[in-house]
Amino acid sequence: MDDIKVDLELDLKGLLCPLPMVRVSQNISKVPVGGVIRATATDPGSLADIPSWARSTGNEIIKQEQEGSNLIYYIKRIK
Amino acid sequence: MNWFQYVFAGWFVYVALIVFVGGLIWQIVKWRRVAKSRIVMGMFPKPAGLGARSAKMLKDTFFFPWVLDYSKSIWLFAGAFHLAGLLMFVGHLRLIHEFTPLVAWLGASGMDQFAFLTGGAFGIVLTVALIYLLLRRFGTPYKDLSVPEDYLLLILLLLIVTMGNHLRFFGTVHVTDYRDYVMSLLTFKPAFNAAILSSNVPWSLTTHVMLACAFLIYFPFSKLVHSIGAFATNLVRSE
Amino acid sequence: MTPEANARAELLQLIDSKMNRTLKYYLDTCVRCAICKDACHQYVATGDVLYLPAYRAELIRRIYKKYMTGSGRLLPKLFEGRDPEDDVLLDELYKTTYACTSCRRCMFWCPFSIDTSWVLAVAKALLLATGRGSEILTQLADSAIDKGKNIDLYTGVIREVLKGSEEEMRRIVQDPSAGFVYDKQGADVLYVALAGTHTILPAAIVFHQAGEDWTLSSFEGSNYGYFLGDTVKAKAIAQRIVDEAKTLGVKEIVMSECGHAHRVMRDFYRMWAKEELPAPMVSILSKVDGYIKDGRIKVTPGKITEPVTYHDPCQIGRNFGLFEEPRNVVRATCSDFRDMTPNRQKQWCCGGGGGLVAETEFDDVRLKSGRLKADQIKATGAKILVTPCENCRLQIESLNDHYDLGVRVSAVLDLVVEAIEIKPR
Repeated sequence: MDDIKVDLELDLKGLLCPLPMVRVSQNISKVPVGGVIRATATDPGSLADIPSWARSTGNEIIKQEQEGSNLIYYIKRIK
Repeated sequence: MNWFQYVFAGWFVYVALIVFVGGLIWQIVKWRRVAKSRIVMGMFPKPAGLGARSAKMLKDTFFFPWVLDYSKSIWLFAGAFHLAGLLMFVGHLRLIHEFTPLVAWLGASGMDQFAFLTGGAFGIVLTVALIYLLLRRFGTPYKDLSVPEDYLLLILLLLIVTMGNHLRFFGTVHVTDYRDYVMSLLTFKPAFNAAILSSNVPWSLTTHVMLACAFLIYFPFSKLVHSIGAFATNLVRSE
Repeated sequence: MTPEANARAELLQLIDSKMNRTLKYYLDTCVRCAICKDACHQYVATGDVLYLPAYRAELIRRIYKKYMTGSGRLLPKLFEGRDPEDDVLLDELYKTTYACTSCRRCMFWCPFSIDTSWVLAVAKALLLATGRGSEILTQLADSAIDKGKNIDLYTGVIREVLKGSEEEMRRIVQDPSAGFVYDKQGADVLYVALAGTHTILPAAIVFHQAGEDWTLSSFEGSNYGYFLGDTVKAKAIAQRIVDEAKTLGVKEIVMSECGHAHRVMRDFYRMWAKEELPAPMVSILSKVDGYIKDGRIKVTPGKITEPVTYHDPCQIGRNFGLFEEPRNVVRATCSDFRDMTPNRQKQWCCGGGGGLVAETEFDDVRLKSGRLKADQIKATGAKILVTPCENCRLQIESLNDHYDLGVRVSAVLDLVVEAIEIKPR
C-alpha cells in the first residue's frame, strides 16, 4: 500500500473538529476523480468525522494509519 | 352638503368604521387560528410569572427603552409621534361629548384656548415627526428596506394632519359646529350645518375626513397592526 | 396546473407549514423602522443592507405578503411582493440566511422583540426545498447522522486514541485508577462533550475531583443539522444522545461548553421530537459553579494572575440564560477579572456562530464583523480570553491572528483545571 499516489497533502494538525472534515471537504474537488488526498489530523474526533463524511458523500478512505499522535487518512475521490 | 361631501364625509365614515373594526377582528381571528409554537423562544434575562412578564411587556411596548441605546433621535421622534397621535385622538373625542370636568375647571373660553394650544401643538409635533420619518426613509439603508406601503402611510398621515392643521389654524369654524357635524353622523343624517358651509373649511374638512377614513380602512391590512401585534410579540420575548 | 405553478404551490405550502402564530405576528408587525441595524454586528461592520436584520426577514415577508395575506394578494406592488422560486430573491436569501449567527441581538433591541433568526428558520426550509441548502453544513449533518448509525465502528478506535489523554488525566489527578468512564449503566451524569479531547479531559478531571458518578457520551453535542435548518436531520443528530441517555438510564444530561448544543438539547429537541427529554439537561457551567460553591472541588483563588476577560456566547447568555455561573467560575480562578463593555445580554456576538466558522464562503463577513468583538477584547487589556462556546473560541482564535489581539483563548474548564487543587488520595 506504500505506492499510493498522493495528489494533495493536507496538514490538519492542531485543528479541532469539525474543521479537519471541513478542510477535506473543501479540498476534495481539487483532486481529480480517482485522486487521493493524504490528510494528517491530530483531533481524535476526526476518527469518526472523516470516515463518516467519506461514507455519506460517497468517497472512500483507502487507508488510515496512526503515527504517534498524528492520524493519517488517505481519501480517494470517487465522484 | 354636495354629493361629494355627502359620500366622502358622510357615508364613507360608516364604511370605514365597519371595515376598521371588522378588519381588526378578522386579523386577530386569523392570528389566533394559527397553531402556537411548541418552542419557548424568550430571551434572557427574563421575569417569571405572567404578572411580571406583562409588566415588562407593557414597558417595552410603550417606552421601547432599549432604542435609547442606539438612537435617541428615533426614540424621540417615534415617541413624540405616537404620543401626539394618541392625544390627538383623545382630543377629537371632544367632538362627541364636551369634556365637562375640564370646562368646569377652565371655563368655556379657557377650554377653547386649551384645546387650541394642545391641538395646535400636537398638530405641529405630528407634522414635524412625520416629515422626519418620511425623509428618513429616503436615506441609506432605509430606502433599500422600505416598500411603497411605508411611504404611502406616511404621506397619507401627513395629508390628514395637514388638513387638520388647516382646520385648526386657518378655519373660522368653532367646536360646536364640528360637534353638530359629528352628531349628524351619529344620527345617520350626515350634514354640514350652515356655519360650516359658509366658512372656508368644507374642502379641508371633507379631505381630512375622507383620508382619515381611507387610513382606517387600510389600517387592519397593513403594518399598522403592529399596534396590536406589539403586545403579543413583546410578551413572547419573556416566554 | 403547469409544473411551475405546481412547484410554486409546493413551496408556498412548505412556508405555510412553518408559520406558527408567533411568526405571523413577527411578519405582520415589523414596521421596517430599522432600529435593528445598529444591533447587528454584520450590518454595523459592513454597512450592507443584506445584513440588516429587518431586511433579512423582509425577503420572507415579501413572499408571505404576496401569497398569504389579502392585502398583498390584492396589491402585491404595495409590499414589493415576491415569488418563492425567484432566483434573485433566493440568492440574496442564501447569503443573508446562512451568514446569520442567530445571536438574536436584533431581537433584543427591536421595539417589537422580533426574532429575525426564527424568520430565517423559514428561509432555511425554503432554501433546502429549492436545493440551496449550505453544502458544507449538509455534509457535516449527514456525517454526524452516519456516525450515529455506525457508532460501533468508531468507539473502539476513538477510545484507543483517547488512552493518551487518560494517561495525562492520571498524571494530573495523581490517581492510577482514574480514567474516562464509558457506557456506565445508571450513572448520574451523561456528559456530552464535543468531538475533540480538549472538551473531555478537563471535564473528566473535574468530575474525578468532585467525585461525580459520570459516563462519557459516544456523541458530540454539536448539531450541524440545526445550523443547516433541516429539522429532520437536526432531530436525528440530537436523538443519538437522547437514545443513549435512555439506554443508560442517567439522571442528568450534562452538556459541555458548546453554545448551540445547550439550546438544541433544552429548547429545540422537544419541539422536533414532540417529546420531553428522558433526563433534564444541565450545563457543565452550572455543574462546576455548584461544585465550587459546595466545596466538591477546590480552586486556588487568584491562581491565574494575568488579566482575564469573559465573552458571553450568545447561545449561552442571551439565548440560554447563563450569565453569572460561568463568571463565578472564572472569578474563582483569577485575580484580575475584567468584563467587556457591553456584556451579558448586550454582549456583541463574536461573529462566528451559526456554523459560520465551518462555512468558509462567509470568511469575509465573519472576519469583518468580528472587528467589534476584537475591539472589545483589546479595550479590556486582558491577556486571557475565556469563553465556553467552541464556535466562539474558534472565531476568537481567528480574530486573534487577524486583528493581532495577543490573547490566549481558553475554555472555562481549562481555567478550572489550571487552578484546581488536586485532592490527595
